[in-house]
Amino acid sequence: MNNSFLRISIWVYLAIFFLYLLGPLVIMSVTAFNSSAFPRMTPWECLTFQWFGELFQDQRILNGIKNSLIIGAGTVVLSVAMGLAGALMLTQIWPKLRATYYTVIIAPILIPGVVLGISTLVFWDRINRMLGLGADSFLSNGIFLTVIGQSTFIASYCMLVLVARLQRYDVALTEAALDLGATHAQAFRKILLPFMRPAIASAAVLAFLASFENYNTTTFTFGEYPTLTIELAQKVRYGITPSISALAFIIVALTVFFALLNEAKLKRQELVAAARKNATVEELAGKIKLPSFFSGNMAAVLVVVFAVATITVIGTATAYNPAQCIADVREQKQLEAQQRIEELRKQREEQRRLREEERKQRFEGVFEPGDLQPGSTEEEAEPDTGTNNSGFGNVFAPNTLGGDSDEGEAEPETPPASNGGFGGAFDPNSLQSDD
Amino acid sequence: MPRFLKDFFNRNGTGMGLAILGLVLFWTIGLIILPQLSMLDFSFRPNLPPPEIGGPKDVYTLENYKYLIYGPEGGSQNYNAVDLRVFFRTLLAAVCVTIFNLIICYPIAYYLGQSKGNHIRIFAIMLIIPYWINEILRAFALRIIFGETGVLNTLFMGLGIWDTPFDFIRNDIALYAGLGYAYILLMIFPMYNVIESLDGNQIEAARDLGAPWWRIHWRVVIPYAKPGISSGCTMVFMLSAGALAAPQILGGPSSLWFTQLIYQQFNDNNDWPQGAAYAIVLLVTCILFVLAMMRLFKVNMGDIGK
Amino acid sequence: MSAGVGVDLENLWIRFGDFVAVRDANVNINGGDFFSFLGPSGCGKTTILRAVSGFLDPSEGRVLIGGNDMQGIGPNKRPTALIFQNLALFPLMKVWENITFSLEIKGASAKERRKRADELLDMIALPGQGDKLPSELSGGQRQRVAIARALCAEPDVLLLDEPLSALDLKLRQHMRTELREIQQRVGITFIYITHDQGEALTMSDNIAVMRAGVIDQIADGKTIYNDPNTAFAASFVGENNVFRGKIKQVMGSEALIETNRSGDLVARISTANQGTMKVGDDAMMFIRPEALAIAPDGATGDHFVTARVNHEEFEGNVFNIFTEGEGGKEIKVSIPNHGQSFKDHTGQNITLEYETQNAVLVPAGELAAE
Repeated sequence: MNNSFLRISIWVYLAIFFLYLLGPLVIMSVTAFNSSAFPRMTPWECLTFQWFGELFQDQRILNGIKNSLIIGAGTVVLSVAMGLAGALMLTQIWPKLRATYYTVIIAPILIPGVVLGISTLVFWDRINRMLGLGADSFLSNGIFLTVIGQSTFIASYCMLVLVARLQRYDVALTEAALDLGATHAQAFRKILLPFMRPAIASAAVLAFLASFENYNTTTFTFGEYPTLTIELAQKVRYGITPSISALAFIIVALTVFFALLNEAKLKRQELVAAARKNATVEELAGKIKLPSFFSGNMAAVLVVVFAVATITVIGTATAYNPAQCIADVREQKQLEAQQRIEELRKQREEQRRLREEERKQRFEGVFEPGDLQPGSTEEEAEPDTGTNNSGFGNVFAPNTLGGDSDEGEAEPETPPASNGGFGGAFDPNSLQSDD
Repeated sequence: MPRFLKDFFNRNGTGMGLAILGLVLFWTIGLIILPQLSMLDFSFRPNLPPPEIGGPKDVYTLENYKYLIYGPEGGSQNYNAVDLRVFFRTLLAAVCVTIFNLIICYPIAYYLGQSKGNHIRIFAIMLIIPYWINEILRAFALRIIFGETGVLNTLFMGLGIWDTPFDFIRNDIALYAGLGYAYILLMIFPMYNVIESLDGNQIEAARDLGAPWWRIHWRVVIPYAKPGISSGCTMVFMLSAGALAAPQILGGPSSLWFTQLIYQQFNDNNDWPQGAAYAIVLLVTCILFVLAMMRLFKVNMGDIGK
Repeated sequence: MSAGVGVDLENLWIRFGDFVAVRDANVNINGGDFFSFLGPSGCGKTTILRAVSGFLDPSEGRVLIGGNDMQGIGPNKRPTALIFQNLALFPLMKVWENITFSLEIKGASAKERRKRADELLDMIALPGQGDKLPSELSGGQRQRVAIARALCAEPDVLLLDEPLSALDLKLRQHMRTELREIQQRVGITFIYITHDQGEALTMSDNIAVMRAGVIDQIADGKTIYNDPNTAFAASFVGENNVFRGKIKQVMGSEALIETNRSGDLVARISTANQGTMKVGDDAMMFIRPEALAIAPDGATGDHFVTARVNHEEFEGNVFNIFTEGEGGKEIKVSIPNHGQSFKDHTGQNITLEYETQNAVLVPAGELAAE
């Protein structure tokens, strides 16, 4: 096979793959800045920051973030503790029990989240009843149940991360500490814990992210405390607005920022380690000269670029006023709408004229009863316009049934901020009917 | 005290030993085993209002399982065709999503695992970032793209490939793309881990012996990567079959996912035992299916999750 | 030498399931001694060390340190400090923090610890290296840090688990001398574990030779080398030529043996076995390569062996001749190099002679695996 052809096809494949992976996130982020009431990239209307403002005034979102943070903190503590204990147990368990034990603690990763949520709910409800507690007891509290339910499987992730590091731990280090007079708790705190710190940090971040974005388990356990993900799901299911895009943009930006920051830190540690190896004793003791944070560190440069860009955007946002543009667009839309109405009217007129002519011709020929109801023909013709590109047609397009069909209680939502004229009404997806 | 426990406490000290043992027992028994057993038990009970629970009517019954197969008693049909169709469609779709993911991820995992250089780290970050974004938001992003006036329809209509908007959502294309999208990392990562440890010389040697590229993959790389492939496939299959967010957001109005039925039983019908029975059916079927596949492809349980 | 704290093992048994790691060990280690346990890997010597330091409970018997029974006392409460085979320096702590870890546990101030670390760094000839990480030191330096860390805890007994095995030959030989010097300076009891007989012989006051959980012999180095108790001790410590046979005649401390392949030879019965070896017993006679010499051709008698020379090699201090005795028996002869001229004997038959006191007779038994 031709080598350069192979290489080109690899790069093309990579490009398509990453387009599939990252494209949706980029498009979603961009829609946060379009003034169109429905999140979309095309047609581009006006650059606006109004969706961010709307986002920060949404009490349900803010409350969801608060609940997510509380639950995330609880889950991090519980799952890292259980994951560490589980990993320690795995390294020293009786060999005959090892395989069974491993299967049990790894199983929650494979059990569907829905099942975990249900089993947590059912089990603690039963415990609650056995203890004779009421429906408002601690055990049926949404935060408690969610933390417990999420930790069931998040602890498995933590365990996997921690055990990888623990396998490189030399038990002789703990023994050395004991031998030098430390108690078991001191040896754990002063020797094992510092060794495990990087893995514990990774596990904690992983646990927090997993908790923050969990939906399947939480949807059964949240009770009175909906998390951000639950609130988002409600919103997305019953009507999507660009303020969700705005939230997504913030999350994407934070994620990219922290990923780059982490990468920069890793790179820096590598450079420092390399420098330490080469350094002489005097250098280390006295004037230690660390390599500059940026030299040979692409990620660090990107972090700074990113930070600058963010500040610029926020600066622009406070100064920028899209009112003029929005007004222009509105005006244009009104014009377009009028034009369309005009066209439509003309079309109908034309049709009527044609029909009348036809009728005249027929009248001259054979009499047919249906022809006595001129209006009905016209009405029947109406749905046909749905397949043309006219503005009204799309209202009836099948895709408007975006809502979940199984939800009887779907509340009909009006577009939160119609940008005037017919803009919102023309939007096919803005009508979330409940089938 | 058995020797194992004695050694355990000698090694960890009494206080630390009790803490470790306590946490592990709480996790394995209190959070994993007992809730599952409790759900199993619950699925065999009738749906009773709280005061009657534990009363004379609270007896074991197969009603909830019968319902899945035969439907409501005195129903018009012999079988619960609606729920059964949803069930099998979910399993079939999960298999399709898994195969789709395997096919698109294998080249990437192979490329990342076998090439060296700084750009691999960038690729790794680019792979991980979408996974850190909320599941709901990822589904939302695809909804924007696949919508009636979404990017794809605008693009294709602009290019004149079709002239009326194609309904990706009603045709479930959005759903499959979304499920595949959601679990790409879980497919790539186990495969990448294994392929990375494959000695490049083996591939070189095979190439020297004149093997064509597809044969190298079929005879050298894939057998070596089997633990990673099975690990990835198992995770993607289980998670797709158990997905709830993507079907709720991207699923068409006429096509339900089995987890949505479970959700309905719990949240709309308020019939917990029925929901628990459905959850058990889903869990057991998925486990049996995965075990059968592992037997078929001769994979060990211990390889999963590595 | 100051009278340090002694260690006694009394009827010590250690079992892991069905496996017996240590079988009825009885050892008295004098305070201030440098005592070595010498044996091949897997013979149970590390197990004994772990029992002394408190990481293992004996299945039976007692461990006494300074006359006190250590039963139920954890490793952190015993007056011992262990130097691990891989040293087990704390990788995330600087050298000075490593050295003064025991003081940190006792709650000493950083200033106090720093001062003590500097003293110990001077002692181990690593002044000013306290701020490095262990990974930035060389193998020999790490070795010394581990010793300093153990000494900082001011133990009564220092336990060393093959601490030199990871070093290269030159450094190992240098560290032997250094360890011995340190021991004499601090005057505490050292218990040293090794499979290297050179280390044991050069450093120790007394050595216990171990085989498969059993202690074969406890004595000073010279005695073990010249007057081994068992076939194992004779073959494990130093090089030895073995001749198997049956005792034909016992003459006080000497005996005549009918060897399987080399005719009747005379030997001295090892001290521990005098009075217990009888005519007709299976026995093994050991002659060191350096105890053999080339005799004039044609000499015969009960201290002469004839052999054909296979090949010869020059090792510097000695000249080695590898011969094949009757029936294919291999015999190695080492002749000290005084600058004399050597004749090439390859392919020829030669006669070897020895003095009776250099041929040691022990009951037939297991030999050390080569």
